[in-house]
Amino acid sequence: MAKSNIYGLFGKSPISPLQQHMTHVHSCIGELSSFMIAIHAQDWEEAGRIKSIIGTKEGEADILKKKLRLSLPSTFMMPFSRRDLLDLLLIQDSIANVTKDVSGLMLNRKMTLPDAIFEDVIELTEVCIKTSAMALKAINELDELLETAFSTRERKVVNTIIEKVNQLESESDKIQHEIRAKLFPLEVELPPVDVMFYYRAIEWLGELADAAQKVGSRLEVLLAK
Amino acid sequence: MEIIANYGDVLLVLAILFGLFMAWGVGANDVANAMGTSVGSGAITIKQAIMIAVVFEFAGAVLAGGEVTATIRKGILDASLFTHDPHLLVYGMLASLLAAGVWLMIASNLGWPVSTTHSIVGAIVGFGAVGVGVDAVAWGKVGKIAMSWVVSPILAGSIAFVLFRSLQNLIIDTDKPFDNAKKYVPFYMFLVGFVISLVTIFKGLKHVGLSFDTSTSYSLAIAFGLLVAIIGTIMIRRIHLDPEENKEFHFTSMERVFGVLMIITAAAMAFAHGSNDVANAIGPLAAIYGVIESGGIIGSKSSLPVGILLVGGGGIVLGLVTYGHKVIATIGTGITQLTPSRGFAATLAAAATVVIASGTGLPVSTTQVLVGAVLGVGIARGMAALDTRVINKIFLSWLITLPAGALMSILFFFAFKGVFGA
Repeated sequence: MAKSNIYGLFGKSPISPLQQHMTHVHSCIGELSSFMIAIHAQDWEEAGRIKSIIGTKEGEADILKKKLRLSLPSTFMMPFSRRDLLDLLLIQDSIANVTKDVSGLMLNRKMTLPDAIFEDVIELTEVCIKTSAMALKAINELDELLETAFSTRERKVVNTIIEKVNQLESESDKIQHEIRAKLFPLEVELPPVDVMFYYRAIEWLGELADAAQKVGSRLEVLLAK
Repeated sequence: MEIIANYGDVLLVLAILFGLFMAWGVGANDVANAMGTSVGSGAITIKQAIMIAVVFEFAGAVLAGGEVTATIRKGILDASLFTHDPHLLVYGMLASLLAAGVWLMIASNLGWPVSTTHSIVGAIVGFGAVGVGVDAVAWGKVGKIAMSWVVSPILAGSIAFVLFRSLQNLIIDTDKPFDNAKKYVPFYMFLVGFVISLVTIFKGLKHVGLSFDTSTSYSLAIAFGLLVAIIGTIMIRRIHLDPEENKEFHFTSMERVFGVLMIITAAAMAFAHGSNDVANAIGPLAAIYGVIESGGIIGSKSSLPVGILLVGGGGIVLGLVTYGHKVIATIGTGITQLTPSRGFAATLAAAATVVIASGTGLPVSTTQVLVGAVLGVGIARGMAALDTRVINKIFLSWLITLPAGALMSILFFFAFKGVFGA
């Protein structure tokens, strides 16, 4: 049969693969709260189990990322720039990467969190997960955005969601700040190397919320075209 | 002259066979492209598409195919040069039909997307310029046709862009897209009926012996548009808002309203395709018939016999039912990104462009017009991903098909000369 021009005109939409990737990334970061509890309970076996789930999910997200990248030739005409889309994909992926890094660090060093900051670290983790959930919600609006051909009405809906992502991110900043403030007076009593890595872990947790926020702002750029 | 007298019947039978073969090819391959966007949008099933295609391709060929047929038949070549050798015109047209048919077969088997229109025009120009003489070709007309190949996809793209933007503003980007769809879609239905019937009444019907004055033509077109809108409105009434289906995606109900519109647009597209592409098969046939019927007198003012239009329409239908339905299925299931709202904007823009071209007597490539229309929706940010490599392929197919058709028809032309005598 003749290869039809009409047939060849339609490329595979990158939107649902992008959403699928973000869904994977979010389910990866979602494991962090039970991981933190296992760490605090010093249940290394459970923590190791969750860590390996995180690793698997991060790997799956990676595969989705590569697949999407390969299915986007530069000849595609899309309602947004290809560059922005690929950037968005990379930022989404970084959430899973940082999740893996932070859980790896904590497990390898058998990091037991001081009771004084434990509650706050759990809260920080929860806020990071919420930020990512909100970013996922924004990404899931892409279907509607496309259907309305990126109309102002639908863009407002998305901008409201992105606004919430930003609020959650600043909340995470505040908590991070509080944790550092609580950690500082404890420094003298704790082993210096441990303290160093507490700071590192908290910083990485903060990066999770940062990355989720970047997903939102990159999405904003993508819509503006 | 004695060649016509001696071999007239044989040549005519050959012409009918080759013409049928071409029409069959159009039905088998081309129709699928015209119907692909409608099937792909999920608005109509493959069975419905074939039924619509059978009826409206035929109607388009018979009611509105006359003008393009006239161009292929006597517009591309300067007929006065054949006055003394009418048999050369017969050989040439036979050669062109055969060349275009064979080239389409070869290209299809190699998987190259080529256009029947380009094949036949290339073939006729080829045998005219080389077999008879460069002066035999009406280069002015050929230039116009070539221009129309560039202009028609651009025009379709522009119409599609405007149509889609109007849908966006009136229906999609509103508080109540479903209610607004029900409110405005009948107007678009009127538009489909009006445009198609107006061009047909003005330009097509005179070839079947009907003619109306301007005001009657407009009244008839408005009446037909209203009729389409009323039928459509009755169909739309049956669609109800289902909040359940809109949970995942807010526009599912709205798209169902567009689905009804799409049925009407698909019919318009089939009509447009029939009106333009059938000429590729029967234009040369009509030319041969004219020469043989008049006993070798060129340029006799005989009108196009309806019987020839029927051969074209029948051949297309034959191609559809024997092979085309498979191609429709393949293309239709392959295009899934098109929602009915997009499908409508693109298909109506293409149908309108093609019908206007048919009315003007310009043979255009329906597929390429449709590509232009879909790209127009894409520019309006309505499509997720369109592969612009198609544009290169279209340029390439112009570059290859025209010389290929020409070369083969030259070969066949001299072969016929050898067989039946110069």
